[in-house]
Amino acid sequence: MSLADFSAACSPGTPCITCSDQGTVMRVVAAGAGGLAVCAGVDERAEEVEVSLLDAVLPGDLVLVHAGVALARLGERGTS
Amino acid sequence: MKFVDEFRDAELGRMLSAQIVATVEPGRHYKVMEVCGGHTHTIYKYGVDDLLPSNVELVHGPGCPVCVIPMGRVDDAIAVARHPEVIFTCFGDMMRVPGSNGTLLEAKAEGADVRMVYSPLDALRIARQHPDRDVVFFAIGFETTAPSTALTLMRARAEGITNFFCFCNHVTIVPPLRALLESPDLRLDGFIGPGHVSTVVGARPFEFIPRDYGKPIVISGFEPLDVLQGVYMVLRQIAEGRCEVENQYTRVVPYEGNPRALEACAEVFELRPHFEWRGLGFISQSGLRLSPRYSGFDAEVRFPVPGIRVADPKACQCGEVLKGVIKPWECKVFGTACTPERPIGTCMVSSEGACAAYYNYGRFARERQVV
Repeated sequence: MSLADFSAACSPGTPCITCSDQGTVMRVVAAGAGGLAVCAGVDERAEEVEVSLLDAVLPGDLVLVHAGVALARLGERGTS
Repeated sequence: MKFVDEFRDAELGRMLSAQIVATVEPGRHYKVMEVCGGHTHTIYKYGVDDLLPSNVELVHGPGCPVCVIPMGRVDDAIAVARHPEVIFTCFGDMMRVPGSNGTLLEAKAEGADVRMVYSPLDALRIARQHPDRDVVFFAIGFETTAPSTALTLMRARAEGITNFFCFCNHVTIVPPLRALLESPDLRLDGFIGPGHVSTVVGARPFEFIPRDYGKPIVISGFEPLDVLQGVYMVLRQIAEGRCEVENQYTRVVPYEGNPRALEACAEVFELRPHFEWRGLGFISQSGLRLSPRYSGFDAEVRFPVPGIRVADPKACQCGEVLKGVIKPWECKVFGTACTPERPIGTCMVSSEGACAAYYNYGRFARERQVV
């Protein structure tokens, strides 16, 4: 990663990528093993998320993800 | 996406704005503090404050973990990062926070192996890939991020990974709120409470605010309508003579929080006797460190750190900004010597810092004109 990449990561107008209490709503794409699941955000980019703090998640569930960990499941199943 | 789009509805925003106007007393000035940097970011990104009457003032609180990190801790991080066997990992914003002698980004330019990650799990992945190196993760954040670090360390322990270490700077939100409420120069009518911290800790830890200090608090989400409704709920409590903890963010925050997250934190962390906060000084039992069970992962045990307290630059008034005593543009160096490109203070570094939010969304010029 270049120095320019670091600057871009902190560009104005993007959410703080540190930890200032800003989570991201993501959709569970596939529930995996070992407390992990594949989730996608608004941009549809898939990433691995730790979901062990929640009851079992299913594909289609919406979860609030913070620093790679899902902290809460949002809404009733089937409403997304 | 559901739970996002409907909370950005402009027409609903205008309706809430009208309700706020109808709720406030015209001759009275209201000061409401949003605790989180995430709220500050939302307010300026979406212009939430433009929908408020002029006698409702939003004050920006200490809830940006980057902004409250003292310079001495950055110096400690750089000292660890300079060890040749170390791969030092941290979140992006943290790389640009100045210590007394440069930033982590500058240390990288000088040869230190400093890498940006998006989560502690990324850092653990690097540790697996480089068993011959010591991988250190700069852990920072409130109770929202602490479970992420805790789970990662539990995972490292379960896998028997011995080259992964944590430089722990996690902090807790209640002690600084209490310190703020004890501050004689603070005049507030109520709080917009921390939404995602509350996802973990629940609403109960904030009951002391109405009980002991007579201030209403409304735990609120981070979409623009969340913040606007949170402000309305605070003002409605005041108008109705109520003073309590209310939860605007019910779609995410259970009153009791997330018990599994709290258990993970209790397993991995313990409270430090005291921890230094930029602008607020030392606050007792406000920081976390690794518990003895996890001391083998503690970077401060593995590596020597200077541990020297460094005073903030004299020109920088981050402390007053963090306490809501002054607006960012009232700082002597705001927008001149201190800019996002060349920050002096931490509030200008993080994109959720109050100074950066003012600067990036052009608020300083407008408010100066008004004054």
